[in-house]
Amino acid sequence: MRKILCRIRSLVLVLLLVVPLGGCGFKDIDKRFFVVGTGLDLSGNKEKPYRITIQLAIPSPKIEPGTSKFQFETIDAVSIAEGLRMLKAYVDKELDFGHCRIFLIGESLARQNITPVLDWMKRRRDIQMVAMMAIGKPDAASVLKIKPISEQYPGNALLLSFGADGTESSYNYAESLSGFSRRLTERGFDPALAIVKGDKKLGYIINEIALMDKQRIKLILSPDESQMFNQLASRFTKASMHGIFRHQKMVVAINQLHSRFRIENRDDQDVIKVNMRMKTVVEESAASLFDKDLKPIESELEKSYEAEANKLLVKIQKANVDPLGFGLRYLAMHSGDQNWERWQQLYPEASFQVNVRLIIEGTGLIR
Amino acid sequence: MNRYFFYLFLFVALMNIMLFVPHILVDNRFEGSVAAILISPIFGSIMIYMFTNAMARFPGQGLPEIFAQFFPRWFVSVYMFFYAMMYWFSSTVVAMAFAVLINRFFNPHANVLIIMVVMVLASGYAATRSTLTVMLLLEIIIIINVPIILFIMFKMVTSPQLNLDSIHVVANYIGHWPNLASIAAATYIFTGYINLSLFNRLFPPNFRFKLLWTYPILGLLILLVTFFVPIGFHGTQGISQYIYLWTITADSLMMQYGFIERVMFLFLIVFLNLSLVYTATAWHQAMEFIKGCMPSMKPETDSPKAPITNYVIIGLFTAASVLYMVFTNEKMNLAITTVWLILRMFTEVMTVVTVFILSRRRLVPR
Repeated sequence: MRKILCRIRSLVLVLLLVVPLGGCGFKDIDKRFFVVGTGLDLSGNKEKPYRITIQLAIPSPKIEPGTSKFQFETIDAVSIAEGLRMLKAYVDKELDFGHCRIFLIGESLARQNITPVLDWMKRRRDIQMVAMMAIGKPDAASVLKIKPISEQYPGNALLLSFGADGTESSYNYAESLSGFSRRLTERGFDPALAIVKGDKKLGYIINEIALMDKQRIKLILSPDESQMFNQLASRFTKASMHGIFRHQKMVVAINQLHSRFRIENRDDQDVIKVNMRMKTVVEESAASLFDKDLKPIESELEKSYEAEANKLLVKIQKANVDPLGFGLRYLAMHSGDQNWERWQQLYPEASFQVNVRLIIEGTGLIR
Repeated sequence: MNRYFFYLFLFVALMNIMLFVPHILVDNRFEGSVAAILISPIFGSIMIYMFTNAMARFPGQGLPEIFAQFFPRWFVSVYMFFYAMMYWFSSTVVAMAFAVLINRFFNPHANVLIIMVVMVLASGYAATRSTLTVMLLLEIIIIINVPIILFIMFKMVTSPQLNLDSIHVVANYIGHWPNLASIAAATYIFTGYINLSLFNRLFPPNFRFKLLWTYPILGLLILLVTFFVPIGFHGTQGISQYIYLWTITADSLMMQYGFIERVMFLFLIVFLNLSLVYTATAWHQAMEFIKGCMPSMKPETDSPKAPITNYVIIGLFTAASVLYMVFTNEKMNLAITTVWLILRMFTEVMTVVTVFILSRRRLVPR
């Protein structure tokens, strides 16, 4: 009995020795190039339509502003996957996308068709689903090549603009790969991406939002519209400051905001009702407000907000996109077949009704 | 002792992710999955009540001993062998699914067969231990891992990315009559009680099962999370494009101030632990059932030394698992698992009803 046990044990040991025969599957960290930003553009060449730009981090012992070093590689290729394989021939270390948190799509590509790009991203196992997506203007490569002087380590500046750690801009619209690909397939819930522009090669400007249908850009919102879009979409998980609202000679900062919508059918007329509640503080005012009755001012602000929100909603509706998810809500509220067809007929004709409850909580530090 | 029964139940309920249950349910999401999810707790609670009630009348006995009292030898042997194969198969599917996952996400350069061999050797060794050891091992793994799973689930359910409208759209398809595959997948969540057919050996006489009503509720909650959370994250249409539903869903989350930013790695490690122990417990039970086929074997729950038969049987299991991996691929694995889930449901009903009748009729033992 003992002997057999002994034999089995030694057999198991011998079998275990087989395991390391595969060799080391991992490459050391200093034998890897970490991609920190990827830009995808159209090259204009018909045979090799895609231009891939990758930003490679060069590790540096110093972490202080302006010390971030990186290298760029650009290639034109028939497909993205092929281009990356080819890029491996250009560099001495293994390319690793595991730390790539920014994917920029060139405007020209986004105006054509982004489906193949997304397909590649979702198939790659090492691309994080939480990576940020944005559109580079005029193209992704030029935005990636900007070297902000304040940047501490490679790829950090752009990432800080999108995350909640750095600036909290109410014009920015952060969308992750998983959220974006969900919107690309979901009926009645269209994607939107922030547009990143270069600021004299020293920094970034992110204050526009591109609204897309399931393939390409349909409408680009101006900075003011982008801010209002963010407020309507109620995407305020990251910022305590929800932007501002300007009316005549007065600016209020929105500190708290709730926005929800409902789709109602009244007398055969479909109405999309958007209810918003916001608490604001006066930031700029030509006249002294402290002693005045704030009610009429509030209602005046409410009216003007409602009018502007309505204008934006109609503009989005005219472009026939649905980034706020009205269609999805309609499908959720109405069970049964053919709802999607009904919604497609219904949406272009629906009217909007925005109800705003705006409360001025204070006039700032002065009267 | 009640907590041990709870572990057996919880453990299997959590393992559904590795057995393609969310995958099968999502595939049928417009054809009756929602109804299947609502039917399965009823089915599950009836089964749990019948089986615990019946097994309580055979204290300290496992299924092989109970059957041996009432049925002819050849029937017990055939039945136990079939039972053992069912157990062996479920754990092989889990081990293989996990080996493929490790290969995809951790180390794509490694040979998937080697990963599989290492995994089955580790869980095979654990399976050769005594029944009591396996039970205690299960407790340790549950206590270490379940808080992490709860944390991940909490993060997912409270995430702003979870779109309630998408969930609502799918929930609207409640009126569709479910097909067999989705019923089989949904009822798998409640199948943990069947492990009592071996672990009943450990339960003392006059043992009473408490709080049985919580089991269907807990199972239903797990089932709802399993099914609806990926839909909330990836949308009603987008969900069908992913193969590794839950891994991708975990990857859509981020722990900004955690040690590891990607929740996916935490998720994979936790489920690696669970898969290894699942394989170990299932193989242990399969091994004991095969031993139940042999008339000479006496059931033992806490032997100081593992008998040589254990090593031989587990060695065969290990070899068979590796062979299974060689001859199948991911796609076949999914198809075979679907068939297994359906077969499992019928086997289970058969076993539970048989044992229940035996416990009531009080036949004179042979």
